[in-house]
Amino acid sequence: MTDQAPNPKALIEHVAKALVAAPDQVIVEQVDEDGELVLELEVAEDDMGRVIGKSGKIARAMRNLLHAAGEKAGRRYELEILE
Amino acid sequence: MNKIESANQLNGFLNGVVKHAGLKLKYRITVDPAIADDRDWERPDILVEFAGPDSSLLLERGAELLRSLELLAMEMLRLPGNEHEKINFDCMGQRKARLEELRLSASVAAEKVRQSGTPYHFAPMSSRERRIVHLALRDEHDLVTESTGEGLRRSVVLYPKDQKSSQRI
Repeated sequence: MTDQAPNPKALIEHVAKALVAAPDQVIVEQVDEDGELVLELEVAEDDMGRVIGKSGKIARAMRNLLHAAGEKAGRRYELEILE
Repeated sequence: MNKIESANQLNGFLNGVVKHAGLKLKYRITVDPAIADDRDWERPDILVEFAGPDSSLLLERGAELLRSLELLAMEMLRLPGNEHEKINFDCMGQRKARLEELRLSASVAAEKVRQSGTPYHFAPMSSRERRIVHLALRDEHDLVTESTGEGLRRSVVLYPKDQKSSQRI
């Protein structure tokens, strides 16, 4: 069992790279916005569907995971997928 | 699906997820798990069981995070929809408890439909849970189940058989 602080940028990078066909084109930037940490995810155009999913369910699953990490860290993390 | 290779990929994926999310969780991955008799409808090739202090986070809001991790893992493995049954994520017996809950609500719904003669609409569910409801009601020969709606709103409706067949053209 790990005992380390959440690293939301590494988390989204890890998950996105596992999902896409072009992991070398995964870029995650973190932006502080009024106390909320926004993770901006950029992937190759052809991989957009893979990180969003049917009816947005993949993106929702990533957000759920990110929110749990935020709960552990005691702050709010949000995911934005850049088009 | 190569089970051993998939189990190794799952391990690499989950190891990173648990570490980077800062979750206090351990997990066990079992290939070809022994399944209890009362779950014979469900025969996964790979079972992932979580435990640890953050189990409650996985189980909040109807095990939303557990299901999210399961979905991400299936996508990571590139499993087509008809192979999603092969991977099963569980935590503290949640699946069994949920199965019992679904079976109970199916039997309550069956009685309601028989008594009222009107269709019963279940709450929206995932495809896997809808399948459990369909299976739970398949031996009720006076009733018919059908899924309706799209995406996250898709749900099971239970009809009296005579009513349903009269609607068909």
